[in-house]
Amino acid sequence: MESKKTSSKIGVYICECGPNIADNIDIDTIIARLPSLEEYQNKELVVKRYKLLCSNEGKEFLENEIRENEFTHLVVAACSPRDHDTTFINVCKKTQLNPYLYKMVNIREQCAWIIPDKEKATEKAIRYIRAATSRVLKQSELIEKQLDIDPGVLVIGGGISGIETALSLAGKERKVYLVEKSSELGGKMNMFKELLPRQNGNRDIIEKKIEEVKKNESITIFLETELESAVGFLGNFEISLKNIKNNQPGAEFTVGAIVAATGFRLTDTGKLAQYKYSKESEVYTSLEIENMIKRDGKIVLKSGKEPESVGLIHCVGREEKGYCSQICCNYMLKFISFLQQQSDSIKIKDFYRDMCLPHKEDQGFFEEVKNKGADFIRISDVKIKGTHVEYTPIGKDKKEVDVDMVILAPAMEPEKGTEELAELFNVPLSETNFFQEEHQQLNPVETSIEGIFIVGACHGPAGISESMLQAQAASGKISTRLIPGKKIVPEVKVSEIMEDFCMGCRTCMDICSYGAITFDGELSVCVVNEAICRGCGNCAGSCPSGAIRAKHFTSAQIYQEIIEAIR
Amino acid sequence: MNSKDKILVIGAGIAGMEASLLLANAGRSVLLVEKLSLTGGNTIKNEDSFPNLECSTCMIAPIQQDILQNPNIEVMTLSTVKKVEGEAGNFNVTIDKKARYVSLVDCIGCGMCYEPCPVTLKNEWEENLSEKKAIYVPCEGSLPNVPAIDPEHCLQLNGKKSCNACVEACMFGAIDLSEKDEEVQVDVGAVIVATGFDMFDAGKISNLGYGKFPGVYTSMEFERLFASNGPTSGELVLRGGGESPRSIAIIHCVGRKELGYCSGVCCMDSFKYSHFLKNKLPDAKVYNIYSDICLPNKTYQIFYNKIKGEGGGFIFQSSPEDIEIKESSGKLGVNLTDRNGAAESLDVDMVILACAIVPGKESENLAESLGIELDGKGFFLTRKEDVGTVETSKAGIFVVGCAEGPKDIQNSVIQAEAAVGKAILIGEINGK
Ligand SMILES: Cc1cc2nc3c(=O)[nH]c(=O)nc-3n(C[C@H](O)[C@H](O)[C@H](O)COP(=O)(O)OP(=O)(O)OC[C@H]3O[C@@H](n4cnc5c(N)ncnc54)[C@H](O)[C@@H]3O)c2cc1C
Ligand code: SF4
Ligand code: SF4
Ligand code: SF4
Ligand code: SF4
Ligand code: SF4
Repeated sequence: MESKKTSSKIGVYICECGPNIADNIDIDTIIARLPSLEEYQNKELVVKRYKLLCSNEGKEFLENEIRENEFTHLVVAACSPRDHDTTFINVCKKTQLNPYLYKMVNIREQCAWIIPDKEKATEKAIRYIRAATSRVLKQSELIEKQLDIDPGVLVIGGGISGIETALSLAGKERKVYLVEKSSELGGKMNMFKELLPRQNGNRDIIEKKIEEVKKNESITIFLETELESAVGFLGNFEISLKNIKNNQPGAEFTVGAIVAATGFRLTDTGKLAQYKYSKESEVYTSLEIENMIKRDGKIVLKSGKEPESVGLIHCVGREEKGYCSQICCNYMLKFISFLQQQSDSIKIKDFYRDMCLPHKEDQGFFEEVKNKGADFIRISDVKIKGTHVEYTPIGKDKKEVDVDMVILAPAMEPEKGTEELAELFNVPLSETNFFQEEHQQLNPVETSIEGIFIVGACHGPAGISESMLQAQAASGKISTRLIPGKKIVPEVKVSEIMEDFCMGCRTCMDICSYGAITFDGELSVCVVNEAICRGCGNCAGSCPSGAIRAKHFTSAQIYQEIIEAIR
Repeated sequence: MNSKDKILVIGAGIAGMEASLLLANAGRSVLLVEKLSLTGGNTIKNEDSFPNLECSTCMIAPIQQDILQNPNIEVMTLSTVKKVEGEAGNFNVTIDKKARYVSLVDCIGCGMCYEPCPVTLKNEWEENLSEKKAIYVPCEGSLPNVPAIDPEHCLQLNGKKSCNACVEACMFGAIDLSEKDEEVQVDVGAVIVATGFDMFDAGKISNLGYGKFPGVYTSMEFERLFASNGPTSGELVLRGGGESPRSIAIIHCVGRKELGYCSGVCCMDSFKYSHFLKNKLPDAKVYNIYSDICLPNKTYQIFYNKIKGEGGGFIFQSSPEDIEIKESSGKLGVNLTDRNGAAESLDVDMVILACAIVPGKESENLAESLGIELDGKGFFLTRKEDVGTVETSKAGIFVVGCAEGPKDIQNSVIQAEAAVGKAILIGEINGK
């Protein structure tokens, strides 16, 4: 017989889980059989049972066993890794054993609980344990690295979302760079005089915030400036800016995170056949009305006279765009309320499809406006020729009416340049062309690239309150990840590209949704940036030359595991 | 760790869990207080969640597991906050911690103790659609996967009879019937209120026949009926009869008029049900009876269009108050008045009432203990001087998720993250 090699010493610990495993699996048989299997002939193997490994005594027992036996590899056969993988990883971490040289096998849910025949359950458990043991021998040590970070943040867009983000984050230990393409801060807010009643009506608070941003010593403002490039990863992005006016390179600096707050514009009503009007006719978009209120303090016709009748048309472009803009029903109510205050005898015809009132205060506002005598007409179709409105009330025949003034609520769409910015960041846009979240529900203000955030109306149609909350949310996430003076630990189960095998086809670059792969022109190969890679393994599957290895899921590891499991 | 750095999160729904995890990962210590015996809140009652129809358990369970295993988070189940004194940076909190009678450390969740228990009860968590024992987990896959004992109904604990059946059945010595309720005192620096919502009582609108006709379901009942870990393992069979419905009417906006607000999520929920039904029962007729279609997210209309494409009727009705539901020979008659005042009637086997989101029952007491205000509708009020905030009238106390008002998961998570930012950044010594 070959002499036993002592280079690897494997511990296999089988949990009885009280009666749960012990009653339905013959653990003693496993202990007797395992060491005699061919693959362990030249290795040292310790196989033991324990009544409840996850208990405090069990964990202590396991910890001592790992230390005393100086195991190089460990397999724990117990319940679902869902329940206790972390438990045993933590045990490893207390010892000399690297946790990536340990593997858990589920012989409770996958064997004991589902196979009534004890002998068969035992056989299956043995196969699973062999699979895990063969795999663990192919695993390699992975060591967590710590990276220095820059806590600074770049904010793109000086509208209310950008301003709120900057103010939430800026401080002694955290610099914020605020980049705005126009010549002033404030975004669309500069066009407004009044907000919704639930937002305290006037915009003083916003005014104050703009002043605060300007005064804050930790915030550097760049006006008439654009982002030229951003390369790097969470904690370390290298930024260069560009001056729009003279098209010259601008400042360069490093930040730890980037927040896009580039806002929206209204969809071009000229492109919608049913809303035809000339420049001279009394038809206005909502933003034109906001501007008018701000400038003149009232809503007036071109002649300077107040209108006696106004038709408001909701959902302009909603069907074409494929989404509801969420805020237009509300601001239309705001306009009606304004008109009602302006004139007691005003005749309002409000043409709507759905009344979208998603905030708890909205319906109250709607009822208030309605009770003051506005005529709300639910339509299935509407068309204008100047201020002549043709409409079809739902389920009824077509009607028409002439009004003095028409106000349109065009859909919100992402600001010009959103697509280019997405390309620059290498982040996806959603079906509706706004930025896409990393996870729509669970990680709603971050993009697929860790460290790049999206807030406000570039994230999706949003009102001011929602925009500000998103700004605070992004700030919240950043504050938990980039803590001044602390390092970050990136994922270690990453992928690597073996230079010698890579033929530079760049298939993997398109596959990686996190932008972790770059092309090295000199060597003509692709390279994974380990600080960005999340270890999803998609690239490894895509590489036609098999040049990519997902470190904790190598083909050799998986192959061994499968071979033993089906043996 | 300094008590100032500790943060109390009240409610272990999606908003509370998200806030706790973020804080914990930033190195903060968190006390997460939950009144039920399990974490997850309302999101885990859903089979799939709109708009991506992602399996809720798959989405939420990893978070629940993280919460329970994170060394920086202490989860206190069956507990409520009784009193809060002090001010931002220095709150003293009194917590009412009810006995679970089962050790979170020793129990392995094998379930051997249920069977021998002689007491059978209605399972409220399952909307009373199934039964449980006096020692129970609310549903399969509850996390923590450890039962609790209902002291009101346990024979030993309520003194009606002497019983020790569960204790004897447990091989792990995990059950301790002598455990007592406790009052726990903790010092924390900030408080995040994430107590979520309850559902509108559909019985209040008597013409809809809820509680009278077994074929009339609330939305939450339907969620559980459809859930693969629910009372029927996801089989769509009607109460009592055991047959699958062939025609279903989903009535939107139940409670909207009485309450004076739109809940913003029930349209999407109804479309989700429509999709579920069409998928599981392809021949069934499904009607959505709506007044407004509320789609407040960039992707919701896409979902709506998809559902419309799957067929089924969409019937406009100005409000459910005008609907009258009657039963005759096993069929439900849904009597509507259409927009022109003409009467219309639908014969269906099942009615689903898309009920409004209402403030949690204990909001009033909690608001009083915390010294913060509620709005006119009973939701927690944020600082009046602000336009968009999670801060309340009392510094250091934040409110997030549906505790603040009806909203979807995305917006609940956004608020949770915002509160985390406030709690950390306000404290960060950065010379503001
Ligand atoms: C008519 C109307 C009335 C409204 N009334 C209300 C109301 O009463 N209440 C309410 O809550 N909401 C209202 N809204 C919605 C409100 O306007 C938005 O919620 C809010 O403006 C969104 O803020 P933001 O910062 O995301 O976008 P914006 O205000 O659009 O700001 C974005 C900023 O980013 C800059 N920018 C864009 N791209 C770049 C780039 N590549 N580089 C650098 N800078 C860039 C832009 O110039 C701008 O300054 C209304 C909207 C409309 C159309
Ligand atoms: S908010 Fe109102 S007006 Fe705007 S798209 Fe939605 S339903 Fe139409
Ligand atoms: S493993 Fe995933 S994240 Fe990493 S480089 Fe490959 S595709 Fe990108
Ligand atoms: S002691 Fe109580 S919970 Fe336990 S079996 Fe008896 S009645 Fe049930
Ligand atoms: S209390 Fe005991 S019997 Fe009941 S589930 Fe827990 S370990 Fe099993
Ligand atoms: S979301 Fe839809 S169903 Fe719910 S209250 Fe609003 S309009 Fe009615």
